Amino acid sequence: MKAAVLLIPLLPLASFIITGFFGRRYFKDKSHYLSVASVAISWILSMYVFIQVERGQTLSWQLYTWIAAGKFHVDIGFLVDELTAIMLLVVSTVGLMVHIYSIGYMHGDKGYYRFFAYINLFMFSMFMLVLANNYLLLYVFWEAVGLCSYLLIAFWFPKLSASNAGMKAFLVNRVGDFGFSLGIMLIFVTLGTLDYSSVFAAAGTIGGGMVTAICLLLFTGAVGKSAQFPLHVWLPDAMEGPTPVSSLIHAATMVNAGVYMVARSSPLFAHSHTAMLVVAAIGTFTAIFAAIIALVQNDIKKVLAYSTISQLGYMFMALGVGAWTAAMFHLLAHGFFKGLLFLCSGSVIHALGGEQDMRKMGGLRKKIKITYWTFFIGALALSGFPGLSGFFSKDAILSGAFSGGYWYFWIVALITVFLTAFYSFRLIFMTFHSEPRMDAKVFAHVHESPPVMTAPLIVLSVPTVVAGLFLGIPPESGHIDHFLHRVFAAAIVTPEHQFGFLSGSLMAISAVVGIGGILLAWHFYLRCPFLPAATCKRAGRLYTLALNKFYVDEIYFAVFINPLRRFSRWLWRIVDAGVIDGAVNGAGWLALGAGRLLRPIQTGKVQGYLFAMFLGLLALMVVYIILTL
Amino acid sequence: MHFSTPIFYLVSALVIIPAVLMVAMRNLIYSAIAMIACFIGVAAVFVTLNAELLAASQLLIYVGAISILILFAIMLTRRRSGAICLFFHRQSWAALPAGAALAVVLGIVLGSARFSAGSAPKNPSTANLASLLFNQYAFPFELASLVLLVAIVGAVLLAMRERRS
Amino acid sequence: MTPLQHYLVLSGALFSVGAWGVLARRSIIMVVMCLELMFNAVNIALVAFSNYANAGAGRGEVFVFFVLAIAAAEVAVGLAIGIAMYRLREKLDVDELDEMRG
Repeated sequence: MKAAVLLIPLLPLASFIITGFFGRRYFKDKSHYLSVASVAISWILSMYVFIQVERGQTLSWQLYTWIAAGKFHVDIGFLVDELTAIMLLVVSTVGLMVHIYSIGYMHGDKGYYRFFAYINLFMFSMFMLVLANNYLLLYVFWEAVGLCSYLLIAFWFPKLSASNAGMKAFLVNRVGDFGFSLGIMLIFVTLGTLDYSSVFAAAGTIGGGMVTAICLLLFTGAVGKSAQFPLHVWLPDAMEGPTPVSSLIHAATMVNAGVYMVARSSPLFAHSHTAMLVVAAIGTFTAIFAAIIALVQNDIKKVLAYSTISQLGYMFMALGVGAWTAAMFHLLAHGFFKGLLFLCSGSVIHALGGEQDMRKMGGLRKKIKITYWTFFIGALALSGFPGLSGFFSKDAILSGAFSGGYWYFWIVALITVFLTAFYSFRLIFMTFHSEPRMDAKVFAHVHESPPVMTAPLIVLSVPTVVAGLFLGIPPESGHIDHFLHRVFAAAIVTPEHQFGFLSGSLMAISAVVGIGGILLAWHFYLRCPFLPAATCKRAGRLYTLALNKFYVDEIYFAVFINPLRRFSRWLWRIVDAGVIDGAVNGAGWLALGAGRLLRPIQTGKVQGYLFAMFLGLLALMVVYIILTL
Repeated sequence: MHFSTPIFYLVSALVIIPAVLMVAMRNLIYSAIAMIACFIGVAAVFVTLNAELLAASQLLIYVGAISILILFAIMLTRRRSGAICLFFHRQSWAALPAGAALAVVLGIVLGSARFSAGSAPKNPSTANLASLLFNQYAFPFELASLVLLVAIVGAVLLAMRERRS
Repeated sequence: MTPLQHYLVLSGALFSVGAWGVLARRSIIMVVMCLELMFNAVNIALVAFSNYANAGAGRGEVFVFFVLAIAAAEVAVGLAIGIAMYRLREKLDVDELDEMRG
C-alpha cells in the first residue's frame, strides 16, 4: 500500500521530467507513450488503493521531515482515507481518459510533447494535493495545480486571448490563494501545527471567532480555485485552453480542489455555523447565477464552463448545509459526467474543424453518432434525469438542504435544477438537432472522431450512468454514505435519517422539475424554434444582462483594474519618474558636483599625495601623544 | 655611563650625518656616495646590537649590490637629461619642517616608550639564526626567493629596450 | 649598556631624514634611494627589538633578512621603472608623472 501510494504521484512526475526534457528532440509525436503509460499505472494503483481503503485500511504516513524550524514543523506525508480514495478515483479515472483522448485531440499539434509534459505535471500535483497530510503541503500543490492550469490555459500562447486568459486565471486565483495562505498561517498561529490530524483534534479548542476567521479564509481559497461567485471570472476564459484541459482541470479535478479542501476541513467548519452559512450562501448564489448566464451563452464550451461553476456552487451549498457526503457524491458524479461532456464538446469541435459557436452547429446527430449519444447521456446526468448519477447526487444535496432546515436554499437549488436541465438540452438541441446552420462545405466534412477519442467517451459514460445506482441507492444511506461516514463523523450536524416519504417526495419533485426543464428546452428549440428569439426580445434587459455575464468582468475593470491602472500610471509618472528617478539622478548630480569641486585637489603629483599622507600620519601620532600624556 | 654609550653616539653620527648630506646635496653621484657611507654606518649599528651576520649581509646587499645598482641607474640616465640638476621643487620648502616635525614626534613617542627590556643582549648566534631561518621560516624564505625571481623578470621587462619589429 | 630607546630614537631620526628626502627631491632615483634609508631605519628598530626583547629573540633579525630581500626586489623594480620612464620622457622628474591628474 505504501509503495502504491508513493508511486501514484511519482510516476507522472517521472514522466513529466522525461517527456519535458527529451520530448522535443526525441519523442516528438510519440510523447504520449510514456505519459499515458505512467498515468495508466497510476490509475491501476489508485484502484488498488481504493479497494484497500474500502476494506477499511487507511494510511497515515510521514515520509520525510520537510521543515523543522523551532515550533514550525512540516512533514511531507501522506494521508489516505476514504475522502482521499474518492478523489483518487475521480482524478485518476478522468485523468487517464483525458490522456487517451488527448492522443487524438492534440494530434499534430506543435506542442504535442509539451502538452503531455504539462498534463503529467498536473497529474502529479493533483495526486499530491489529495494525498497530502498537512495544510502546507496541500497549499504547495494547490499552487502547483494552479501553475499547471496557467500553463495549459495559455498552451496556445501565441494567441493573445489564450495568454491573457492564462494570466487572468493566475491573477484571480492569486486573490483566493492569498486568503487561503492567511488561513493556513492563522491555523499555525492558533494551534502551532498544520498537520490535519492534530488540527482536527484540536479544532474544538479554538475560540468561536477565531474558527470562523480560519474557515472563512480557507473558504476564500476555495472560492478562487473552485470559481465561486466573486472570483468565478477566470473559469469561462480558461476555455481558451485545449478542450482535454478544460475537461480534466476545469471540470473534473482541479476546480474540485476547493470542494475537497472544505470537505477535508469539515471538522473545522463544523465548529463555525457562520462560516457554514457563508459557504452555503455563496454556493447557492453561484449556482443560480452561473446557471442563468449559461442559459444564453452561445459558445459550447462557455455553456459548459458556466455549468461547471453552477455545479460547483451546488457542492458548496451541500458543504455549507452540512451534507458533506452529498457534496463528495456530487463531486464524484460531476467529475465523471462533466469530464465526459467536455470531451464530447471537444469531439464536436474537432468534427467541425474548430467551430465553437452553437449558432453555427445543428443537425450533427446522425453524422457523429457516438459523440451524440455520449453527450446525450452526459446531459441527462447533468439535468438530473432519474436513474443517472447526477440525479442521485443532486437529490442528495437537495434533501440535505431541505432536511437541514435550509428551505430557502432548497428552493433556489430547485430553480437551478430547472435551469440546468433547460440549458443542457438547449445545448443538445442546438448542437445536434434541428437544421444544420453551418456552411454546406463544413457540414459535408463533418466526421466522427477517431476511436482513440471516442473510446474515452464511452468509458466515461459508464460511471455517468451507473455510479448513482451503485453508490446512491438507497438515498442518504447508500454505499457512499457508509463509505464516507467515518471521515465526516465529527462534522455531521443533522441527524441521520432513513429514506422515507418526505425524501421520496422531494426526489420526485426534483425529478419532475428536471424533466420539466428538458421538456421546455424541447418546446423552445425543437417544436417552436421562433420562441427563443421572441422570449429574448421580451426579456430585454435581463437577456442582455445575462448575455454579458452580468457585467462582472466590466465591474472588475471599473472597480479594480482601471483604478489600479490609473494608480500605477500615477506611480509611474509622479513617484517613479519624479521622486525615485529624481533621487537617483540627484545622487548622480551630487557625485558629479562633488567631483567637480574636489578635482583640483587631484594634481596627479605623486609627491603631493605622499605629502598629504605624511601629514595625516603626523597628525595621528600627535593625537596619540596627546591621548597618552 | 657604560663604555658602549660613546660608541653608540659615534656610530649614530656615522649614520645620521651621511643621511642628511645625501638628501641635501645637489649632485646625484655625491648623494649616492653619502648613501653608501650611511649604509656602512647602519652595518656598524648592527654590530653594536650583536647582529654580526646581519652587518655582513648589510654590507653585501646594500653596499655591495643595491648601491652599485643605483650608481648604474644614475649613469644610465645621466646623458642628455641634466638629471643632476633636478633638485628641489615647489613643495620642498615644506618637506624639511615636516621631516623635522616627524623626527620630533617620533623622538617623543619612541623615547618615552617603556619596554620591558631584558638585561642582557639576546641576539642569537649565527648558528641559531640559521636554524631559525631554515627550519621555522623555511617556507617564507623560499617565498622570498620567488619574489626576487619575479622582481628580476619584472625589472628586465620594464627596463628592456623594445625591439623594433 | 645602551638603553633600547637610544636605538629607537636613532631609527626614528633616520626614518625622518629618509621621509624628508622622499618628499623633497625630484629625481626618481633619489626618491628610491631615500626609500632605502627608511628601510634601514626600520631595520635598525627591528634588530634593536630583537636584541633587547625578552621573548622571541632572533625573530627580529629573521624579519630583517626578509626586509633585505624585499628591498632588493623593490630597488630593482623601482630603478627599472625609472629607466623606463627616462627612456620614454627623457626626464627623471617625479612631477612628470601626473597622468592621475583629475
